[in-house]
Amino acid sequence: MPTAAPGVNVSLAHASDLLFTWTVLVYAVAMFGYSVEFAFARIARSRGDQAGRPEQIGRVAVGLTVVGWLLHLGSVVTRGAAAGRVPWGNMYEFSTMVALVAVTVYLVLLLRQPVRFLGAFVMTPVVLYLGLAGTVLYAPAAPLQPILNSYWIKIHVVAAITASGAFMVSGVITLLYLTRTWLDRRASMGPGTAAAVEYHGFARWLPSAERLDRLAYKVIGFAFPVWTFAIIAGAIWAKYAWSRYWGWDPKETWSFITWVAYAAYLHARATAGWRGRRAAVLSLVGFGCLMVDYYVVNTVISGLHSYAGVN
Amino acid sequence: MTETLTDETATQALSTAPQGTQPVASRNRVRSLWRSLTSMRTALLLLSLLALAAVPGTLLPQRGLNPVKVDVFFTAHPSLAPFLDKLSLFDVFAAPWFAAIYLLLFVSLIGCLFPRIRLHARALRRKPPAAPKRLERLAIHDTWDADGDAQAVVANARESLRRQRWRTTELREEPGGAWSVGAEKGYLRETGNLVFHVALVVLLTGIALGGLFGYKGTVLVTDGGSFSDVPSSYDVFTPARLGSESALPPFAFTLRKFTASYQPNGVPKSFHAYVDYRSTPDAPSRPYDVTTNRPLSIAGTDVYLVGHGYAVHIQVRDKSGRLVYDKATPFLPDDAMFTSHGVVKVPDGLPRQLGLTGFFYPTYEPTPFGAQSSYPGPAAPVLTLAAWQGDLGLTSGRPQSVYSLPVASLKNIGTKTIGPGQTWKLADGTTVTFAGVSQWATFQIAHDPGSTVVLVAAVFIVCGLLSSLWVRRRRMWVRAVPLDNAGGVRRTVVSAGGLARTDADGFATEFESLLRRMKD
Ligand code: HEM
Repeated sequence: MPTAAPGVNVSLAHASDLLFTWTVLVYAVAMFGYSVEFAFARIARSRGDQAGRPEQIGRVAVGLTVVGWLLHLGSVVTRGAAAGRVPWGNMYEFSTMVALVAVTVYLVLLLRQPVRFLGAFVMTPVVLYLGLAGTVLYAPAAPLQPILNSYWIKIHVVAAITASGAFMVSGVITLLYLTRTWLDRRASMGPGTAAAVEYHGFARWLPSAERLDRLAYKVIGFAFPVWTFAIIAGAIWAKYAWSRYWGWDPKETWSFITWVAYAAYLHARATAGWRGRRAAVLSLVGFGCLMVDYYVVNTVISGLHSYAGVN
Repeated sequence: MTETLTDETATQALSTAPQGTQPVASRNRVRSLWRSLTSMRTALLLLSLLALAAVPGTLLPQRGLNPVKVDVFFTAHPSLAPFLDKLSLFDVFAAPWFAAIYLLLFVSLIGCLFPRIRLHARALRRKPPAAPKRLERLAIHDTWDADGDAQAVVANARESLRRQRWRTTELREEPGGAWSVGAEKGYLRETGNLVFHVALVVLLTGIALGGLFGYKGTVLVTDGGSFSDVPSSYDVFTPARLGSESALPPFAFTLRKFTASYQPNGVPKSFHAYVDYRSTPDAPSRPYDVTTNRPLSIAGTDVYLVGHGYAVHIQVRDKSGRLVYDKATPFLPDDAMFTSHGVVKVPDGLPRQLGLTGFFYPTYEPTPFGAQSSYPGPAAPVLTLAAWQGDLGLTSGRPQSVYSLPVASLKNIGTKTIGPGQTWKLADGTTVTFAGVSQWATFQIAHDPGSTVVLVAAVFIVCGLLSSLWVRRRRMWVRAVPLDNAGGVRRTVVSAGGLARTDADGFATEFESLLRRMKD
């Protein structure tokens, strides 16, 4: 263990790490609760039983998600306070912020629509992601390098993180959409009718393909302009820091590729013959590019962007 | 699609996207080519190609980013590299095939924008469509009874829609004494979408402007030194591809002092270059603190701090004590702790020409493997020097770097390690004094006349996108049919139906609240 960097409040840094651990635990329990509801509520209902017990568990899971979210927020805030700066200076901090946004997007959706079925599917990657962040990517709190010390980093990175968290949720919904359409197709090819689809297989646990598609579009419709703004803010920052707004540095290029992939998805939704599954695949390609942008570019391909914080 | 389509005209998808262009067997080949170039399918294809084409630019080293890495690649793969080079794979973003993709994309974009703008302008002038025959077949609909005469009920509904800033048709009388009204809202969706696409074209124009008329250069300035914005005073200069460098009178600045601060482990904390500048030769001199992320902007030209290092002040005296050399020489850093190397040339004033090569350690730390600097700040500055005598080759006419000395043809006459203020006396009586250290900074000076255009376009891109993706275009119709009058009280059956292109969830709520207002 290296000694703490100067200017770092050690007890706050400890508190942040402790809150982080609790966040992961609480989220994991919530994830388990959602899974129980998901698996049993509809089975119970399809048998004609009341789904009271599983639904209660689902509501508890929402409560736990909110508690976990508060702990998570606490962990991020104390981290920033410990290092005396904004809490998104390296890949560990980046990843935990992205997970925080993903949970926030899920909770905001939940306020407006009955989307508790998403709980298990959002919390699973969040927990895995936080697990990865807390182990492989972990870096102790430290001040920023001068190049990162600009208010544009705040704007640029907050926007990038917000968009990424939302893209993560849309990616989960899109996977569910593809699963649902695949099951629908299989069912429609096999014996039985459309009604049979509703009661057989995994499909009956999920909302209709149509609803999932709209939900994914809605979330991407939020994330895409934010991502666009993030790229622009990054370009402005680059203009101040490196004397040019665009230089095809690998990080910039992969952000651009991600942007173009999602633009292609939006176009596909308006192009005859491309709506539906093909468009959905394009949005997953976009998400793949985003992951390359964060993890492959930071660790394998190195450019001017110097905030990975892992060696 | 959940919308149960009824009347085609009224409930058609609320989009001006070019709908699947049929490859009409047209005699006019050019026209059909143009039509398929400007189709959505082509746009989609070109967008996907653009994303794909950018990928190799991040996997292979690029000349524009790091020419040294390209050379390393050539050495490592001597047979593969020339082949890749033929395909411009080391200059992907300047490659002809990359340009072909984005130029085609923009031609396609411009081509599809004209008809869309025309259609949308027409839609903006036109009234919303009249009510389809059977409103109850729309996905969102409701029916209720109301008191009063059918025309008055519909007029009321129209008024309440207008108050919510819906655009409405005139009242329409239908057979059987029925009245109806149509309304539409959310034109901003398409407006925003068009603004977005137009702004993309403007953005590219701005980038092109910068590429053609912009120039840049770098210069190293030592504490106390000056710079004036004329091409000859740059160390490296990339002139504009078109037009002259600048029609404006040159600006100038003097570096008063450069300072850097570091954490104890040597990671930099802050850099400041304190300069005094004049925006024109006769303007008053003003101070400015150029730091990371904070360039100095003078009349469309930006001065950036991009590097720094130490300059070693050396004085050389001949054996009679006469000062023959007195200068601060920039040393170039070799590592993050600023172990630096440099060369001093004293061609005049001594019986034989003298050259010095040296290493400078801002914080000197001897180790078993040789000396090193253990901290980038000047905590314990030490200079190690080697002295060379002979012909420095300055008169040979061949250009020579100020940072190298042709030591192979010179005679070494000793080495020495000294601290600031200390003097080294050579065998022939010449003395070399380490008079002190100062710092230097390198500045990148860039002029990009397109950057304002790019910035303004970017703002429109974001605003256009927001309204394109967040505004919902929706239509609504209300119809009132009179009931047979029973007992002198006029009664009507009112039906209403709505249609939203996307995001029906939000529309259902809005629809209900609109109806609540109408029913009041
Ligand atoms: C430079 C490349 C382009 C980019 C980055 C781009 C991006 C976008 C975005 C983000 C949207 C919003 C989608 C939505 O409202 O759901 C959109 C919509 C649209 N784009 Fe593009 N576009 C480009 C080129 C083109 C071209 C070449 C065409 C013409 C064929 C085109 C035609 C359209 C149309 C018609 C829509 C509206 C689709 C709808 O009604 O939903 N775009 N574009």
